[in-house]
Amino acid sequence: MISPQSAAPERRREAPSFSSFFGTKKWLMVLGLLLVVCVFVVPVFRLLLLSVLDKGAWSSAHYESIWKETATWTAVRNTLYTTAGSTILSLVLGVSMAWIMAYVHLRGKRWMQLFIFLPFIIPSYITTLAWIQFLGKSGPVFSLFGWAPNLYSMGGIIFLLGVSHYPLVYLFTVDVFRKIPRELEDAARTSGAGRKHVLLKVVLPLALPGIAGGGLLAFLTNLDNFGIPAFLGIPANIRVLSTYIYEQIAGFGPSSFARAAVLSVLLGAIALAGTFLQWLLLKKSRVTETVVRDTNPRIYLAPRPQQLLEAGIWLFLGVTSLVPFLAMGALSLIKAYGLPFRPENLSLENYYYVFLEDAKTGSALWNSVWLAVFTMGICLVAGTALAYLRYRGDSFLAKWMELFVTVPYALPGTVLALCMIFAWMQPIPGWNPGLYGSVWILLIAYVTRFFVLQVRGSYTALLQVDPSMEEAAKVSGAYGWVKWRRILLPLLFPGLAGGALLVFLMVLTELTVSSLLWSTGSETIGVVIFNYEQAGYTTYSTAFASVLVLAILAGGLLFTALSRQWERKVMKKQ
Amino acid sequence: MIEVNNVTKQYGSFTALHEMDLSIRKGEFTAILGPSGCGKTTFLKLLAGFMKPSSGDIHIDGFLAASKKRLVPPEKRNIGMVFQSFALWPHMTVYEHVAFPLRHHHHTRDEWKQDIGARAQQVLKLVGLEQLFDRYPAELSGGQKQRVALARAIAPLPDVLLMDEPLSALDIELRVEMRNEIQRIHRETHASVVYVTHDQGEALAMADKIVVMNHGKIEQIGSPEAVYTRPETAFVASFVGKCNMVKGKWEQDFFIPNEFPWERWPDIGVTESLKEEGLCPVRPEQWKLAGEKEEGLKGTVLTVQYQGKEIHYTVEVENENWTVHQSVFQPKYGIGDTVSLSVKAEPSQKAASL
Repeated sequence: MISPQSAAPERRREAPSFSSFFGTKKWLMVLGLLLVVCVFVVPVFRLLLLSVLDKGAWSSAHYESIWKETATWTAVRNTLYTTAGSTILSLVLGVSMAWIMAYVHLRGKRWMQLFIFLPFIIPSYITTLAWIQFLGKSGPVFSLFGWAPNLYSMGGIIFLLGVSHYPLVYLFTVDVFRKIPRELEDAARTSGAGRKHVLLKVVLPLALPGIAGGGLLAFLTNLDNFGIPAFLGIPANIRVLSTYIYEQIAGFGPSSFARAAVLSVLLGAIALAGTFLQWLLLKKSRVTETVVRDTNPRIYLAPRPQQLLEAGIWLFLGVTSLVPFLAMGALSLIKAYGLPFRPENLSLENYYYVFLEDAKTGSALWNSVWLAVFTMGICLVAGTALAYLRYRGDSFLAKWMELFVTVPYALPGTVLALCMIFAWMQPIPGWNPGLYGSVWILLIAYVTRFFVLQVRGSYTALLQVDPSMEEAAKVSGAYGWVKWRRILLPLLFPGLAGGALLVFLMVLTELTVSSLLWSTGSETIGVVIFNYEQAGYTTYSTAFASVLVLAILAGGLLFTALSRQWERKVMKKQ
Repeated sequence: MIEVNNVTKQYGSFTALHEMDLSIRKGEFTAILGPSGCGKTTFLKLLAGFMKPSSGDIHIDGFLAASKKRLVPPEKRNIGMVFQSFALWPHMTVYEHVAFPLRHHHHTRDEWKQDIGARAQQVLKLVGLEQLFDRYPAELSGGQKQRVALARAIAPLPDVLLMDEPLSALDIELRVEMRNEIQRIHRETHASVVYVTHDQGEALAMADKIVVMNHGKIEQIGSPEAVYTRPETAFVASFVGKCNMVKGKWEQDFFIPNEFPWERWPDIGVTESLKEEGLCPVRPEQWKLAGEKEEGLKGTVLTVQYQGKEIHYTVEVENENWTVHQSVFQPKYGIGDTVSLSVKAEPSQKAASL
C-alpha cells in the first residue's frame, strides 16, 4: 500500500533570522495599556472628581445636600425594592426553568429554548411597550375580563424586570445543572437517598455557586435597567436611581451635573460591589468548567404528567414571550389609540407615518445602524486582539487590560453616560472639540460600554480552539496574517460572529446611554421610541417597535442558519 | 545538528527543566523517555521555538536558535512537528494540509513551491494517502489522521522532525503498525527525529538513542540496549526495565543481598553507579523460579496473572514484593505457594552490554 520512495534529496539551507517583534512587542503592550486606561478608566475618575468639586475647590457640599433630601432616599428605597423583588422573581423563574430543561425529558426543547431567549434579545423597553398594550385598556386581557392589573406601579416594574431578565439566570444556571455529573446523583441514590434527598443534598448544593452567580447577574441587570422604570415609573411618579439621574440631567438645573455625579457614585458603588461579589462566586464555581456538559435528560415522566408539564411550559412561554408582542403588533395596526380591534379600524397608517413621513425615524434608523456597524467593527478587531493577548496568557498587562475594559460594562448605563459626558466634553481641560452634542460621543460611549462583550466572545471562541492548531500552523511556516486568515479565523468564525452580533444588537436597540447622550440630529432608534411614548404617540412607538422585533428575529434566524452552514461546510460535521 | 547547552526552563517558581545538556546528531532518531511531568514536552516546545529558555542556549546547525534574550520563532526554523492530538485543521482537506507547509514553510525548495501539486502527491504517496486527498479530517480514521499529520510535517523536508507522543491517541494494534511507518519515514527522509514518549516500548523499538528524563533532569543517555540492560540510576532501572531493586553489598564481581548474607549473585551487567549505591537491579525475566525444595531465596506467591506467553507473579520475600515473569513452559505455581528465587546467570547479556 505504501510505495518505498525516497524523499531525501538535498535540503534548502538558510541562516535563521531572529524575530524582530520581541523588542517592539513590549512597547506596543504598554501603549495599549495606556490607551485602555485613558478610554475605560479615566472617565470613571472624572465622574468621581466632579462629585467632590464645587466651584473648583474640594467640597462635600453636593454629597451633603443630596444626603439631606428625602427624594434621594425614596429613590434608593424604590431601587432596592424593585431590584430585590425582580431578582427574586428572575431567580425563581430562571432556576426552575433551567432545572426542568436540564433534567426532565420533554418534547420540543429546542423550540422552548428559542422562546426563552426571546425576551433576552428583545430590548426590555420594547417588552415593556408590548406588555403595556397587552394589559392596557384596549388590550385583550381587559376586553376579556373587564379588568387588568396596573403596570404603572411598583409591582408592574418588578414583574417586567423579573420577566425580562429571567433568561439571564436561566442561561447562567442551565449549564451548571448539566455539568453536575450524573454519577454523583447515581452514587447518592445507590447510597439510599430518594429523589427529593438527591435534589436537596446533592444537586442544589453543587449548583449553589452557579445559582448565586446568576442571581447576582440578574440583580446587576435589574439595577442597571433604565427602560422599564422609565416607561412605567416616570408616569407613576416612582423614581429609581437610574431614572432619577436621568431626570437630573434632563432637568438642566444649575448644579444638575454635580448632583447627577453624586447619585451616580452611589449607584456605581452598589453595582461594583455586586460585580465584585459575583466575581468571587464565579471563582469558587470554576471547578465545574472542566466537566463535560451532559445534555441527555435524567428524569423521565409518565406520559400524562409529561404532557401536563409541556402544556404548562408552553402556556408560560406563550404568555411571557409571544402574546404581548402579538398584542403590540395588533395595536400598531389600529388607526387611532383607543379604537377597538375591528377590521374597519385597521390600517398601515402608523407605519406609513413612522417610516415615510417622520424624518426623525429615518435618520434614527440610519444613525443606529451605522453606529452599530462601526462599534461592531472596532470591537471586533480590537476586542479580538485583546482576547488573543489574554489567551496567550504570558502577560500580566493583558490581564489588567481585561479588568479595565470590564469596568464600563459593570457600571449602570446611566452612570457610564455621565462618565462619558465629563470625560469627552473637554478631553483635555480647556479644550472642547465638540464631541458632546454630536453623534461621535455615542460611538465612543458604545465602544466603551460593549467592548468587553466582544473580548469575552472572542476569548471563549479562542479557548475552544486547541493551542496545537496554531502551533501546527507556525511549524508549517505560517505567521502573522496568513496564520489568521487560513487557520484561526475560519475556526473562530462562529464565536467571533456571535460576539459581534451581540454587540451589534445591543447598540442597535440601546436606550440607556443614548437617552442621556443624544442631541438633535443624532437620535437613535431607542430614543425615538422613547420620545414617541413620552409624547403619548403609542401607536407610532408600537409600529416602530414591531418592525424592530421582526428585524431582530430575522437577524437571529440568519445567524443560526449561518452557523449551521459553517458547522456543515467548514467543520464538516454531519 | 542540535546543541542544547545548560538549558533551564522555569514556570514561576516551578522548574520544569534543570540545566539540560544534549547534542543530537544529524539524521539521528532520539527518543525522550520519561513519566508525565518529567519535562519532556517542555523540552520539545523549546526545540520547536514556542518559548524561550530561562537560561542556557540552543544552537541549531551552528546558529543560535534560542537563549534567554533571543528566539528564532518556530515559523523560521527548519522543523516539522507531529502533535499528540494530531492538530489537524478541521476546515482543510488532506491535500490542503500537505500543501499548506509547502506554500508557507521557509525552507521548502523552490521547485516544490512552483509545483506544489506534484510534491504534495509525492508526499501523500509516501504515507499511503494518495486516494484520500480530498477528505476532511472528520472523515478519516485515527490511523489515517496520524498519516496526514506525518505528511504535513515531512512535506517541506525539514531537518528536524519533532514528535510529541504521536501514537498515544491510537489503539494498541495501530501503534505497533505506525512504529514501522515512522521508522521507514525516518529512513527515507534522513531527518533528525526527536520523539517524546512515556512508553518505553516505543522508545526501545525505534530510537537510535534514548534520553531518559525524570523531574526535569536527564537520568541517562544511551542506546536502547544500554538503557535497558545497563541502567545507570535506580529510576532508569525501574522505569525502563521494570527492575526489582535489591539492596545489598557489591564485592568485586558478586553481590550480597542484605537480607540474605549467605547468597552470592553474579554480576549480570550492573553499572558502577548502581554498585556504589549498593543496589542490584533484577528485571522480572531475570529471576529463576523453582519449587520449595530447590535452592534460593524463599518467598510466598501473592498474585498470579496469566498473560498468554508469560505468567506474572508477585512474590513476597522478607517483606518486599518482587515481580517475576516466567515462561508458560516453566512449572506453574499458585497463590500461597512457597517458591525459591535465584538470579539467572546469563553470560550473553553481560557481553551484549559492553
